[in-house]
Amino acid sequence: MNYTFQWGQVTGHIPYLAGGAMIALQLAFFGFAIGMVVGALCAATKAYGPKAARRLVDAYVSFFTNTPLLVQIFFLYYGLPDAGIFLDSYQAVLVGISLNAGAYLTEIQRAGFMSVRRTELDAAATLGFSRLQMIRYVVVPHLLKTLYAPLANHYIVMVLGTSIAAIFGVEELTGRALNVNAINFRSFEIFSIAAGMYITLTIAASASLYWFGLYAFRIKAKVF
Amino acid sequence: MFLSIDGLSAGYGGTRVLEDVSFSLERGEIVSLIGPSGSGKSTVLRCLVGLVPPEAGRIALDGSAVDYTSRAAVRGVRDRLAIVFQQYNLFQNMTALDNVAIAPLKVKGWPKAEVMADAKRLLDTVGLGDKHGAYPDQLSGGQQQRVAIARALALKPDVLLLDEITSALDPELVTEVLDTIRGLAANGMTMLVVSHEMAFVREVSSRVLFMDRGRVIETGPPAELFDAPRTERARDFVTKILRH
Repeated sequence: MNYTFQWGQVTGHIPYLAGGAMIALQLAFFGFAIGMVVGALCAATKAYGPKAARRLVDAYVSFFTNTPLLVQIFFLYYGLPDAGIFLDSYQAVLVGISLNAGAYLTEIQRAGFMSVRRTELDAAATLGFSRLQMIRYVVVPHLLKTLYAPLANHYIVMVLGTSIAAIFGVEELTGRALNVNAINFRSFEIFSIAAGMYITLTIAASASLYWFGLYAFRIKAKVF
Repeated sequence: MFLSIDGLSAGYGGTRVLEDVSFSLERGEIVSLIGPSGSGKSTVLRCLVGLVPPEAGRIALDGSAVDYTSRAAVRGVRDRLAIVFQQYNLFQNMTALDNVAIAPLKVKGWPKAEVMADAKRLLDTVGLGDKHGAYPDQLSGGQQQRVAIARALALKPDVLLLDEITSALDPELVTEVLDTIRGLAANGMTMLVVSHEMAFVREVSSRVLFMDRGRVIETGPPAELFDAPRTERARDFVTKILRH
């Protein structure tokens, strides 16, 4: 390979790229948070809701888990304006990521609801627990413990998935790397640095989620 | 009569599993229910603590009938009758000590220092003095079942209901659990026992009820029921289980 590395041309852009990494984290964080709420509502509907509502949730989940995220965001960004709804690129990406996450998180959380042990609820009932106490002391700790690892995994997948936003001109990490590349064409150096930042982000997230899981729920969550 | 059950019928989703069951229990007495699987023994206990709603009949505590459609009444019964389950049903996210202490602390609101001291004493009594901080998944089946017994005792119940508490245990762990129950029996605890451990039933019970297909077929002192059953079905059952 006859290539001379010119790191000097890109090191100056590191703070700019790091700012992009923060936007990536922000997108993942908000997308995950909104997805969790959507997922919890849909999971509760699937577990306890009326038939028509369950069908609706099923349709939502199968649409968003069976089509690519990219197509979903294209639809929101380029399709919705025809219906008179205008989202800017950041909004379209955030809505797309959130709805996509909501579909996957519905399935994960539903599995959690289904796994609450009947036997523990019987014991709680006969010990005189109120409904609220059962939720507080039996259901929620169980959900947190069983759902922690799959949720943490999904969060990390989402952090990496935010790079899709670059296609729509959102200046997150990948978007800013593309911008720098357009200035000096030091592609190898720039994308190495971007990749390094992604690795740092996911390893930091994995490690902190692992230690938190160990501390909070005594589980050795295999987060990647 | 301390606890009396009159003409109790109950079922799950339209299928009757208890038909016209009647018996009573005096304070300090130990009564055992025996019979083949599916005969309704466990359902009797589950009815008593309000996990299965009675469909007909009358259950009375200290002479006053319990209205199982009233939440307050069911809570009142659960204060006085404590059940220990076959599968222990411990709270997996809590230590042994917390499993024992949570109900007195959170449901009853008893003072913490007193509850914790009491919970520790109970765990010591069941032989788990060194396992206060262990989680259920760090304990053997026999140890878990002894935590469950301590948990049931923590609310100071009048009657202990034991639902096949050794059926899920390896044979060598059965003894440690039964010894715990023997200790309680010696202290005058009132108990209603569902068990397949016939030697144990014979040893601790003052009366034994033989159940089959949801009905009480025969009642009597253990010596009589095991050695000279009056009914054909009880004789069949007793000869089958005592053969091995």
